[in-house]
Amino acid sequence: MPDELHVNGTSLRLLKADITDIEVDSFVFYAREDLSLGSGYGNAITMRGGPSVQEDLKEFGERKVTEAVITGAGNMKAKHIIHAVGPKFQEEDLPEKLRTTIINALKLADEKGITQISFPAMGAGFYGVPLEESAEITLSTIMEYLKNGSKIQEVIISLLDTREYIPFQKKLNSIQKS
Amino acid sequence: MNSTRSHKAQKVLERMGKKLNRQIVGSFAACVHCGMCTDSCHYVLANPGDPTYAPAYKADKIRKLFKRHFDWTGRVIPWWVNAKSVYTDEELEELKDTVFGKCTNCRRCSINCPMGVDFATFNRMARGLLVSVGIMPEGVAVVSKDQWEIGNQMGVLKEDYIDTLEWLSEELVDEFGDPRAAIPIDKKNADIVYSINPREVKYDPRTISDAAKIFYLAGANWTMPSEGWDMTNFGLFSGDDDLGGAVARRLYEKVEELGGKKLVISECGHGYRSTRCEGQNWAQYDLNFEMESSVTTMLRYIHEGRIKVDKSSNTDPVTFHDSCNNARSCGLTEEPRELLNLVAEEFREMYPNRAENFCCTGGGGAMSMSEYTPRRLKSAKIKADQLAATGAKYVVTSCHNCVDGLSDLIKHYKLGMKVTQLVNLVAEALVVPEKETAVPVEEIPAAAAGPLDGYKILVVDDEPDFVSFASAILEDHGASVVNAFNGNEALEVARRESPDLITLDITMPGKDGKQVFESMRKDPQLKAIPVCIITGQPELRKLIYDRSVPPPNGYIDKPISEESLMRNVRKILEIKQKATK
Repeated sequence: MPDELHVNGTSLRLLKADITDIEVDSFVFYAREDLSLGSGYGNAITMRGGPSVQEDLKEFGERKVTEAVITGAGNMKAKHIIHAVGPKFQEEDLPEKLRTTIINALKLADEKGITQISFPAMGAGFYGVPLEESAEITLSTIMEYLKNGSKIQEVIISLLDTREYIPFQKKLNSIQKS
Repeated sequence: MNSTRSHKAQKVLERMGKKLNRQIVGSFAACVHCGMCTDSCHYVLANPGDPTYAPAYKADKIRKLFKRHFDWTGRVIPWWVNAKSVYTDEELEELKDTVFGKCTNCRRCSINCPMGVDFATFNRMARGLLVSVGIMPEGVAVVSKDQWEIGNQMGVLKEDYIDTLEWLSEELVDEFGDPRAAIPIDKKNADIVYSINPREVKYDPRTISDAAKIFYLAGANWTMPSEGWDMTNFGLFSGDDDLGGAVARRLYEKVEELGGKKLVISECGHGYRSTRCEGQNWAQYDLNFEMESSVTTMLRYIHEGRIKVDKSSNTDPVTFHDSCNNARSCGLTEEPRELLNLVAEEFREMYPNRAENFCCTGGGGAMSMSEYTPRRLKSAKIKADQLAATGAKYVVTSCHNCVDGLSDLIKHYKLGMKVTQLVNLVAEALVVPEKETAVPVEEIPAAAAGPLDGYKILVVDDEPDFVSFASAILEDHGASVVNAFNGNEALEVARRESPDLITLDITMPGKDGKQVFESMRKDPQLKAIPVCIITGQPELRKLIYDRSVPPPNGYIDKPISEESLMRNVRKILEIKQKATK
């Protein structure tokens, strides 16, 4: 099955990797409203990036669901982190909020002239969005955004394990066939 | 349904319908409120005047929802069968307090119920329902997210895990003078793939090196995986079946990728139950390899003559604490006793024992829920009495959760006992064949043998006795030691002396260790200095989980020993034993 397709000249591909440990212009961190990094990927950002990321976040205070902010990535392999406050735990209007969160992250990348961005399986795992739903919303929203024109040259979906990878691969395959 | 119900309450009820199975429905329906479960619960025994701890009472808080929404009796005659619904987020918070804070899911009430009601199973289901709408103790959220996204429940990064294994390998190769003593990582087609608890990497690496010694001397064809190595599973505690499946799948897939023939699970009760007994269901995964507890592996090596042990190495009287998950859910009760009798001179049974044993009170994720610590320690009285009655010096347990839970209650009730695991006793009792020591080891001249020569270490603690004790050990090993007795002094001395390492107590008058630690991490002059937390309050490990700043480089529970202090100091300073700076 394919792991990559192109939309308006932009590459959209899947990668089995820890999103906090890849060389990329920017990656999306599924953030909390208080922008505290916390555990999980937040822990990895703190450990690999050092304290500067959380320091950078102080200027933003709190953010509402669907909003996104950008910081440096400290000592990480990435250059920037886009902190996108996504919907969590079956909250109301979750699919629409998730789409808006992804669009806002992409818009912010475009505004900042970032040409390479990596997304995780948005909302899946701890925050409870089923993987199939995450794959459907993440991929379709990114494709729709790219079709409307963007300076982003590459979008990478970083997936932690085969459990995450396979639903995204199936969705990408169905998009290519349609 | 009622239109005034909160969104979260609505979602909980919707999901509840999907989680019901024959076992849970049977347990909901079968209770006759006979009270047989009451005295089996350690919370009840420690709180005799409080009926809210009784298993049947706690069960009814969940059962009423089942009756109201999924059972015809509750729909027709709700007042008769105590059927009630849930409407507000506050009610869900109250339910959280019961299912997380008043039960460790130890299943002692379950096995004592004449009707077969398995309260622990539907208590776990209720936890999962709450987690699905984001209602859970903060510690549960922190640990769950680490396991979802980092791949292990203590947030150990891959590079730190590999670094620890390599460091331990260097020590093992030095000890045996044989490169084959190193820990093989990602070796293909090994007979044994060894999985561990991340606590072993973070707080207790000796258990890894002790296991490695046993595998080496047994001539085992073994390996440790670089990923998918965490056999613990917080999904068992949080009730999140998706997390349970994800964790188990990572472990199973790695074994198959490596072509391993058998997955050996180190001593951990919930890890053994999750990986060996529950994970295949959660992950919907058919296995092509065998699994066993490391207890079984070690016992087999002795039976087969692959390792020899001398029980005179362990002369202190020992008792054995059965982990709830091992004993009540997996039947692992006789192998550890047989092994213990082979490696220790005096084994004293604890009563009651095996499946009737009382919980260490740290199970079910309780050690991560610091808000319930006073409640947990109060309920630990029954366990403390059990331990004290044995008169043993050591309590042995095949569970890392139990190690933490028991250590905490032993300190709280001032029992003066120590906690250890079978792997430590077996390693201690190993008889090393002559041929294994025949390879000459390069000796370093005694004058240069102080491994901390040239290092300056700041010891911070408000207890003068502790400062003297730790300083003496470090100075004996060649370090130059400076002291501070409170938080402000610690910062002042650290800036003035620029030490290579700081050992830091958490609980101190004035500016406490947590504030000092954060100040150090944010201070450009101090932030690169490694810090090792040494505390007598394990529940304050929340400090490590709250990561607004990079975490400490090491963590030791009091009381410390020379061995534990030096092992951690060497690890942090990356000093090989007998090497000089």
